[in-house]
Amino acid sequence: MLPPLIIETKDLSKVYGEQRALDGVNLQVAPGAIGLLGPNGAGKSTFMKCLLQLHPITSGSARLLGREVGREGREIRKRVGYTPEQDCHIPGMVGCEYATYCAQLSGLPFQAARQRAHEMLDFVGMGQERYRKIDTYSTGMKQRLKLAQAIVHDPEIVFLDEPTNGLDPRGQAQILELIQSLWRKYGITVVLSSHLLQDVDSICDQIIIIARGKVLVHDTLENLKARRRGAAEVVVAERHQELQAACGKEGWACELLPNGHLKVEHKCDSLNPLLKVLDRLKLAPLEIMPSPNALEETFVQALELSHAAA
Amino acid sequence: MPLHDISYQHWDGSHLGIWRRRLVIARAGVAACLQIRGMRHMVVMCWFAALLMATLLFLVGQLLVADSVVVLWAGNLNPQLQTFVRLLTTWLEQHPEISVRTTQNILFHYFGIYLLPISIFALGTAIPLLVTRDLASNAIIIYSSKALNRGDYLLGKFSTAFGLLSLTWLGPVCAAWFAGNLVAPDWRFFWHSRAALGHTLVFGLATLVVLSLLALGVSSLSSKEKSTPVFWYLWWILGGVVAPIAAHTQPWLRHVSFNYNLDQLALAIFRPAEDIRIAQENIPLLGDMLKNIPAETLAALSAPPLIGASIGLGLMLLLAVTIVNRKVKPE
Repeated sequence: MLPPLIIETKDLSKVYGEQRALDGVNLQVAPGAIGLLGPNGAGKSTFMKCLLQLHPITSGSARLLGREVGREGREIRKRVGYTPEQDCHIPGMVGCEYATYCAQLSGLPFQAARQRAHEMLDFVGMGQERYRKIDTYSTGMKQRLKLAQAIVHDPEIVFLDEPTNGLDPRGQAQILELIQSLWRKYGITVVLSSHLLQDVDSICDQIIIIARGKVLVHDTLENLKARRRGAAEVVVAERHQELQAACGKEGWACELLPNGHLKVEHKCDSLNPLLKVLDRLKLAPLEIMPSPNALEETFVQALELSHAAA
Repeated sequence: MPLHDISYQHWDGSHLGIWRRRLVIARAGVAACLQIRGMRHMVVMCWFAALLMATLLFLVGQLLVADSVVVLWAGNLNPQLQTFVRLLTTWLEQHPEISVRTTQNILFHYFGIYLLPISIFALGTAIPLLVTRDLASNAIIIYSSKALNRGDYLLGKFSTAFGLLSLTWLGPVCAAWFAGNLVAPDWRFFWHSRAALGHTLVFGLATLVVLSLLALGVSSLSSKEKSTPVFWYLWWILGGVVAPIAAHTQPWLRHVSFNYNLDQLALAIFRPAEDIRIAQENIPLLGDMLKNIPAETLAALSAPPLIGASIGLGLMLLLAVTIVNRKVKPE
């Protein structure tokens, strides 16, 4: 039996003035660790905010956790956590007080809120600094606190908007590990928005790539990584024309690139047929670079689209 | 390293209702206001004023008792004053319903009016904590991402202002009424002074709603914490300066002052002119003294420009709601 869909959108669009931030997004997403990938300004944050009803939808429809977004906002948000990209703490509060307050706003009674606040602050690795005013926190502590407030009420799904921004590599790794554990160990669906391929690649099992408000691809990480175009770049020191002719005989397009590499469209799942041709010619390649997988290629495509728009 | 389990634990308790969640915002807001030392001083000052009022009511109540403490004090001070007090006491003993109702209505009218500036000042101090600070720190996004909507957030913030005003104004006034009548020589004082309490509650609740909404509007004007209290105090002070000047030039201009409009509302609710007329006609000696009040003053007290004040307050509230609606958004 298929798992119930956690996010469903139909022709979802969001327009700010003359700019279309989301352009007819159609998605059906099952629970899991979902990576929302795209360059800055692609529409990732807008997509999240529309689902959370922080921004009204211009047209189309969306369902989150089986409920209609726009009609049942409060009920949906009771079961959803969110860490915004920017700092948005309440000034003057200390860390544990803030987490308790957020839990109460989500409907937890005070005693339970206080207990869970401390549990979640432990979970995200905050020590005695929880008794300090948030205004004095470093970026890393603020990111941890943001994560704690997002999960303090035990949501079914948590939206994380660029949660590793401003962190050093060690801090990034720790936060990503925590996020990964939310789905893998505790069954909380995670939607991680990032413009960094390696963040999403390391912890997500489903990928949605967005560019200029449109979904370019939505698939599992496994499928995307397995999918290649059947092309490779071959670096040889000599006999370029001979290799081109041999590839031509196989029916493969072969092009000499300006950098001296040969781009061969071998159309096969593996490099073996190409290696056989090289062996037949007794030609030792200096390097063979397989074409990037679909994840990398679509991400590059998203970046190019974004640059073209800029 | 914590000794207990730091792995994630699921929670399966029942959630609080929406009114409790709104109350959480209001309570946190009032608590944040009370963290300001000046605010605590103002609260103490207001409750001290309530204590003084209760003492005054005790002394007034003593006038209804023959050979009371007040009569003895008056005798010690001046024999003529003692005679005056004895005469007054004799009459008051015969007509407690008029004396208690009239006296307390006048006293609570002026007590409310004179205590209000402290509350308006306190509200000015609290204005950055209502919406301004949340606008500056983007905290509205956090509120909006919880099981609340914009209306719930605003209702919580409105309740913060309402709660603060209750603490510095309506609470002390009502407590003064209760304590003053508790120490009165007769339980019937509670009954005879019901009009004073009723008027206080009607005026108090209307004022609290108006001031809370206006404060919310001013607090939403800017995200700079130093600006919004300045707007509030400027409006209050300029209104106070303009109103008496405009009375002789452009009377409609008086209504730019919310304080003036509230004063007119108080006159319409408490109707002190009626109490003065009753006192003039019924209370010996004191009534004669009140006959010296100029006719123009009595006319002003008996016919406040209620329509102008209502329109003025209505427009201010409309403006406040418009500002809040435009400014208070998640982003």
